[in-house]
Amino acid sequence: MATRAKNHPVSGKPKGKTSAKGFDAIDLELFNSRLIAVAAEMGTVLRQAGFSPNIKERRDYSCAVFDGAGEMVSHAAHIPVHVGSTPLSVRAAIDAVDMGAGDIVILNDPYAGGTHLPDVTLVAPVFLSSAAKMGARPFAYVANRAHHADIGGAGPGSMPLSTDIHAEGLRMPPVLLQRGEEMVTETLTLFLANTRVTDERRGDLDAQIAALRTGTKRVTSLVESFGEDKITAAMRELQAYTRRMITDVIARIPEGRWAAEDFLDGDGIKQGRIRIAVALEVGRGRLIVDFDGSAAQVTGPLNANRAITTSAVFYVLGLLGGGTMPANAGMLDAVDLRLPGDSVVNCSFPAAVAGGNVETSQRIVDVLLAALAPALPEKIPAASCGSMNNVAIGGFDTLRRRQFSYYETIGGGAGAGPSGHGASAVQTHMTNTLNTPVEMLEAYYPMKVICYRVRRGSGGKGRHRGGEGIDREIEMLEPAQLTLLTERRETEPWGLQGGGPGKRGRNVLVRGGKSVKLPGKTTLALERGDRIRVQTPGGGGFGK
Amino acid sequence: MNNPRAQRLVVGIDTGGTFTDIVATLGKQSFRFKLLSTPHDPAVAVIEGLRRLFPDHSPDTLTYGTTVATNAMLQRHGARTALVTTEGFEDVIEIGRQARSSLYSLEPCNPPALVPRRLRIGLPERMLVDGTVEVAPDVAALARLRKRVEQARVRSIAVCLLHAGSNPAHEKAAREALKPLGLPVTVSHTLSPEPGEYERTSTTVANAYVRPLMEEHIGKLRRESGARQFRVMQSNSGCIGAAVSAREPIRTMLSGPAGGVAAALACLRRAEIRRAITFDMGGTSTDVALLGADLPRRASTRVGSIPIRTPCLDIHTVGAGGGSIAYVDAGGSLKVGPQSAGADPGPACYGNGASPTVTDANLVLGRLRRGFFLGGGMTLDMACAESALNGLACKAKTGDAWTTAAGIIEVVEANMEQAVRLITVERGEDPRDCTLVCFGGAAALHGCGLAEKLGLREILVPADPGLLSARGMMDGVLVRDLRVPVRAQDPSLGRLQRITNSSRHAAERALRAEGIKTADIRTEVFVSLRYLGQSIEIEVPLARGFRAAFDRAHLRLLHSSDPGRSVECCGARVTATERRSTLRPRTAATSAVADLARPKLRTGGARGLPPTRRAPRHCKPEPVEQAQVHVGGRKRRVPVFKREGLLPGYERSEPAVIVEYSSTILLDEGWNLWVDADTNLRLERSARG
Repeated sequence: MATRAKNHPVSGKPKGKTSAKGFDAIDLELFNSRLIAVAAEMGTVLRQAGFSPNIKERRDYSCAVFDGAGEMVSHAAHIPVHVGSTPLSVRAAIDAVDMGAGDIVILNDPYAGGTHLPDVTLVAPVFLSSAAKMGARPFAYVANRAHHADIGGAGPGSMPLSTDIHAEGLRMPPVLLQRGEEMVTETLTLFLANTRVTDERRGDLDAQIAALRTGTKRVTSLVESFGEDKITAAMRELQAYTRRMITDVIARIPEGRWAAEDFLDGDGIKQGRIRIAVALEVGRGRLIVDFDGSAAQVTGPLNANRAITTSAVFYVLGLLGGGTMPANAGMLDAVDLRLPGDSVVNCSFPAAVAGGNVETSQRIVDVLLAALAPALPEKIPAASCGSMNNVAIGGFDTLRRRQFSYYETIGGGAGAGPSGHGASAVQTHMTNTLNTPVEMLEAYYPMKVICYRVRRGSGGKGRHRGGEGIDREIEMLEPAQLTLLTERRETEPWGLQGGGPGKRGRNVLVRGGKSVKLPGKTTLALERGDRIRVQTPGGGGFGK
Repeated sequence: MNNPRAQRLVVGIDTGGTFTDIVATLGKQSFRFKLLSTPHDPAVAVIEGLRRLFPDHSPDTLTYGTTVATNAMLQRHGARTALVTTEGFEDVIEIGRQARSSLYSLEPCNPPALVPRRLRIGLPERMLVDGTVEVAPDVAALARLRKRVEQARVRSIAVCLLHAGSNPAHEKAAREALKPLGLPVTVSHTLSPEPGEYERTSTTVANAYVRPLMEEHIGKLRRESGARQFRVMQSNSGCIGAAVSAREPIRTMLSGPAGGVAAALACLRRAEIRRAITFDMGGTSTDVALLGADLPRRASTRVGSIPIRTPCLDIHTVGAGGGSIAYVDAGGSLKVGPQSAGADPGPACYGNGASPTVTDANLVLGRLRRGFFLGGGMTLDMACAESALNGLACKAKTGDAWTTAAGIIEVVEANMEQAVRLITVERGEDPRDCTLVCFGGAAALHGCGLAEKLGLREILVPADPGLLSARGMMDGVLVRDLRVPVRAQDPSLGRLQRITNSSRHAAERALRAEGIKTADIRTEVFVSLRYLGQSIEIEVPLARGFRAAFDRAHLRLLHSSDPGRSVECCGARVTATERRSTLRPRTAATSAVADLARPKLRTGGARGLPPTRRAPRHCKPEPVEQAQVHVGGRKRRVPVFKREGLLPGYERSEPAVIVEYSSTILLDEGWNLWVDADTNLRLERSARG
């Protein structure tokens, strides 16, 4: 039963010029909100059904809808680093697997559409019942991506100091997880056998599947209500809408060439800072983003692939647009992205990538903002904390008689800007995950939190002060293995227009009453009673 | 008339941002009154209204819905408060969950904590997750704490220590140590014992922050109203006595909307409707809720950005209402809200503003009648509305004001549609078999449009939709909700009953303290369960078969279940409820507004009628005017009726606009109207629709 026949209630054709074929401002808004709502509803189901704290508490996931050609239509804004990368996953799934009704493809391979291995993406085709006949192409696709707390590999949490992709965990090219709504047992068994906490993985996969089923149902019912042609057109229109929004954002940047460089502390394996350079060329409504001059890909796990760099560029454009534009395939149409091959911003197989997603992505944002700062001095803020401060701890919990794998990112100070002081103790830029509450953490894992405070005095000085970082100390109640992937331990988050830099971060091991400073990136065996203290960087200050 | 001294005066009052609404019954007489609120001191309007309505009576029972606590938090004018935490965790209140409120913001900023750093005091103590004491606070530490709090010169104290839900001993010790200061102390384990230190701290702090203000306010109202029984509506739609509400003001954060939903549920029960979606649309925002056999509940809400963990109705708020402003964005899409023209400057048709709003669109489309707004008490300016919409039409390239206005209505109703879908998806429900209940000033204009989008076939508009919340207050029953911390794997029924027993008694005691007889108290226990290792919780009633009930709920909400799997109980809730309001005769509810709102309708006529449809009696209302109105997607000439003239049994299957004092109702094409015995307007989708 069609619940609604009319598209909008105006009798006859609108008199004015429409913004596109058959779509005026009203239709545009109505269908935009319907398509965006599908992604949002999938997100709701995923969160509701999610099993692990990483999904329920930290909400490290995202959901999206794609058209029949595999181009992204709408994306529920949860995690910026997923925005540019999910489309590549769907593309890879379509290319590798001939999907039929009820099929679901699973993948996480950074060299076939993924970002880093813990981000597991599921893709399902949407077939219309009228076209369910054999050989028909899917009308649309739905996909979601969730960060699983462990995907095997050399270190619990699957964020080791690796030197190639194989050490980072189970690598899955696009393969079928479900066929005709039935689980492909071989895939599932292989997947679960290669992760440390299988119950949790199974529960989170079920949640991802439930979310895809919801998405499929909603797309189908939209087509039933409005017709196939209308929804196809609406999908195209939504992409065109984003294209116009991006063009408007670019038009507000003064024409010219704006360049900057910044550095990562190091890759954790070899000494030496890693250069990231960018030049933005603005003119005639187009933007060229050229990363020429950035370092070659590195030995350690700090490499970002094209998906991640694309996400960072889109994130910065989203910032300039105030977050009002829907994320989809239209977003990079006006942007010419030039990435040097085999580089730290566009790595090739088999480079290690565990930290590219979480650390390098932050520095790419920093360097893009640094380039824009002289062009838009009244808008751009100083550098934020510049690191996700990744802590992964795992081992065997003798009390609960199970393996455990704890992963968390810790916030820091936001950069101060033209309008005020920077926010303290928040996740900045490419992530916005929630913390694991202390009382939950202690209930789940053999650990005790000693302190969780704002790190006083860590914000950069200036007319507007940079935000302050966090000081978090955890005591181990069991022996365990620790991996730290942290940045801005050597370089400082820069200030702007005379503002001072934010304080560098600091990692400390307290063993037997003695404190030892740890490197920014390290893997370490912890003993019972050891304490790990992570002090995260503050944001840069703004103005004298 | 009987001797007035023998009659009970029962009053319900809802104070809102703009109006203070009063409804009352005195014996068989009913009263209603709306007067402007006095935001500087809400008590002034309340007392003024009571004096004008009842110069010779003091209320026997007065139930009060208040925004005092909510506003104090939103406007940050609560008391200077000290926060006592576990040493090392003083900043939990500031760090929150580490997330920023807006994802794409060049300069993200989270509002400052209610307690600044210098007023947060760490106590050297540590409780472990299982309730084992690792470090007990010693006498010297407690003495130092007292001294520091004394020096801080605060008016209120919040105490929130780690794992206080597992073992409250240290919080109790701190409370004892602080007692000599003579200040109100709020301890976290009595308000919100569940794990999750940030939400518990923010709840405790919010309570402490608004408590002095609320104690003063409630004290004053109680004195000056002379009410023999003074009750306050809580966010869970149950009332509670003055003393508890002043001590735990955090329980009143959703007081007003909760009253509206509770009254809607009462209407639905009398009309024998099982499932409904409430649609409460006002000037700046819209509240929607999903009603089943019982009220929808949740364990937490937010006031501004601050999470508050307290039992409340599951009400979802959308930032769109009559005053929402329409504009065209950079991508060429027509947007409505969340910016609102508010009361000042207000919609363009109020004469002061130039921004086109939803209200202007309704006026231009003939759905809102300029001569009948607020009973004719306020005139609307059509020329201003048209000029604002023409301006927008140019930017939107949608042609004329009429087309653009229709577009605004479509967009705002689509926003509502998405909101309703989200709450139904979250609760695993299909909206299509629900009835839409419209109340608040603006809802009934959009009822048909929203119902069509959601595929609903029935709409109910209660009498006096603009006063429904106050009605909910008047009909409210006493409820005491207590949370019980529980952590148990595969617990038996008996074990859970033992754990919750003392809280059960405490809740019953609280109601007896309000003068309720034991026989009139119904107590229920609910437990929150999840599969072991999972992090969602699902609440089910504690009774034989509770485990199977959990599996069923899990299947419905999350599309999977596993009856063989271990479950974990992670908390319980005990609710003691007064069995039935014994305050006034049962029939008073049906005739509550009759005397003032519809003087011609004899209350006796409506009493005792079954809520089913009956043969139309002699009722041929005269239209007060004919108007060009946008109905069924086009312009049509339709009659405008006054609602007073539509008596029970009246039916109509042609479009119409129906005006009344507090609202306007659009009967759109494809809908049939009938008036039920309670004078509710009932709209049904016609078969061909």
